[in-house]
Amino acid sequence: MTCRIEIEFRPEEGAVLRLLGLVERRGYMVRAMTLPSIRAGSTAWLSMDVAPRDAGRRVETVCAQLAKMHDVVCVRAGQDAPALEAAS
Amino acid sequence: MIPAAAPRTVPPPTPRTGAHLVVEALEREGVDYVFGYPGGAIMPVYDALPGSRLKHVLVRHEQAAALAADAYGRVSGEPGVCMATSGPGATNLITGIANAFMDSVPMVAITGQVPAPLMGTDAFQEIDVFGVTMPIVKHSFIARSASDIPQIFAEAFALAKSGRPGPVLIDLPKDVTQASGPFPPAGPVPAPASFSTPDPDALRAAEALIRDARRPVLYFGGGIAIARAETALRDFHSRTRIPAVATLKGLGGLPTDIPDFLGMLGMHGTRAANTAVMESDLLICVGARFDDRATGKLDTFAPGARIIHIDGDASEISKLRRADVALPGNISAILAALEPGRLEIDAWRARCAQNAADWAFRYDAPGSGVYAPALLNELSRQAGERFIATCDVGQHQMWVAQHCRFSRPQAHLTSAGLGAMGYGIPAGIGALFAEPDATVVTVTGDGSIMMNIQELATLRRYRLPLKIVLLDNSQLGMVRQWQELFYEENFSEVDLYDNPDFADVARSFGIEAFTVDRRADVPSAIERLLKTRGPILAHVRIDPAENVWPLVPPGKSNADMMEAS
Repeated sequence: MTCRIEIEFRPEEGAVLRLLGLVERRGYMVRAMTLPSIRAGSTAWLSMDVAPRDAGRRVETVCAQLAKMHDVVCVRAGQDAPALEAAS
Repeated sequence: MIPAAAPRTVPPPTPRTGAHLVVEALEREGVDYVFGYPGGAIMPVYDALPGSRLKHVLVRHEQAAALAADAYGRVSGEPGVCMATSGPGATNLITGIANAFMDSVPMVAITGQVPAPLMGTDAFQEIDVFGVTMPIVKHSFIARSASDIPQIFAEAFALAKSGRPGPVLIDLPKDVTQASGPFPPAGPVPAPASFSTPDPDALRAAEALIRDARRPVLYFGGGIAIARAETALRDFHSRTRIPAVATLKGLGGLPTDIPDFLGMLGMHGTRAANTAVMESDLLICVGARFDDRATGKLDTFAPGARIIHIDGDASEISKLRRADVALPGNISAILAALEPGRLEIDAWRARCAQNAADWAFRYDAPGSGVYAPALLNELSRQAGERFIATCDVGQHQMWVAQHCRFSRPQAHLTSAGLGAMGYGIPAGIGALFAEPDATVVTVTGDGSIMMNIQELATLRRYRLPLKIVLLDNSQLGMVRQWQELFYEENFSEVDLYDNPDFADVARSFGIEAFTVDRRADVPSAIERLLKTRGPILAHVRIDPAENVWPLVPPGKSNADMMEAS
């Protein structure tokens, strides 16, 4: 089951790596992602379609773990989200 | 204990450099001690140290700097600070940073880095420590400009100790610390998010569950020490008298000897603790996280219990076991707000107390050799209220957890999450700088001590009164025990028959040392350890065949505890 996670974050050095790394480490495969152009001085949105590596993973848990990261402003998640188009 | 900072022989250069901003930032944060080791890329910062009010503790391996900073953070509650150069200096810090991350310890780790124009070119002693440490830090920074340094340090310290504490890394390219100019002061740092008021509906729901329970258990963990919530925990326990169990990191949250405290649960927990949890109809989980070493096979853990989960970190709630009532937030405030009223648990308390009495540890093992559990139990009792134990990892670590008496959470410093052999002596060093009047005892093994034995030189240099109890079975004891029990006695690479004479080694570092072989000599050994004013090592030879009991086999239910045959 794929789930879409949308993250608003401050695009500080390493922020995208931190977000992707946490999602992967906590047991999810990233199936697709979108990162629109980042404007200087503003927050950014990263949208990921993720699939758990085993049935024991709860998306609420990884969202809560994302939400407490220093860079993160907010996190939203939806079940059975359609696949994102690959970021161009 | 530590010499005053050497007077600077040359005045600070004008204008100031990025390195001076680093030193000023540390001073502004109230840092007293920096545990570190100099090298090429961090030299500008070391050049700026003399004349500052910071006291630098020169360890003999960077790993020890991070582990000492970890222990300093645990005891003081303030971020421990460690510092190393780029490349190998930075990678040597990693075990200590990981240790702080796994056990939620406030720490700021500072690394030198090659000049920014060389970053990414595989320069000499270049490692992407920012990337390497990403999974094991709460956050990390690369200072790209000297003018950013004040702000970065202010944010790093605020982050390290706010919410669920953890390590924060600051990587300092050499050209940044060498840069000079007039620099702006740090701006305001956003206040850490404060906990919201406990949800009143959840509080009432929790009270109803507690009131209705007939077999409740209070299951608490390292979150008590992190939140400094032991007073609230003790008050809640005195009001409810609910039988209580602790995780490895929770030990000391309640005093060891009080009624209704059943000891540690889990793999090497007491039978009374594990039995109570398995029979419970309600678990009040406070600052714990259903760690596999505590729960055994998770789907068999407390099968009939409903769950109230109280934690400072909301992401821990329902991570592994769904909570019936979730209470994220300030642990002390939540415990204080819980007023379940009169409980009908007298029969349950009596049953738990009887189990605890029936299955209490015994210290009358046959034979004339040293029985380590008895030694540790007696040592901790005689050491008094200021006792702090620091452990390495292995059988002795579990004996400390099972048999020592702890009066406060800060009395038990152990590498719980990471399980890092080599923690003990550096942790003893950090603990003594944080609390110089404490009676700090490092309990180690003949495997573990060799991981950081060079730190005996640090003890000697600063004349730290650390008391080291080295339990020597000439084996990697815990691995040997598992090979005996779970690998058909196929003893593979655990024999340390060729250990050095540890007492001689200690003496060669200038540390008083003696060897204990017989049980009859234990009382005098304890007396000597506690009376000696400087560092001392007791080399204690124990039976190589001794095992840690009880034991829940890996992957099994806590109901499947094994006892000594």
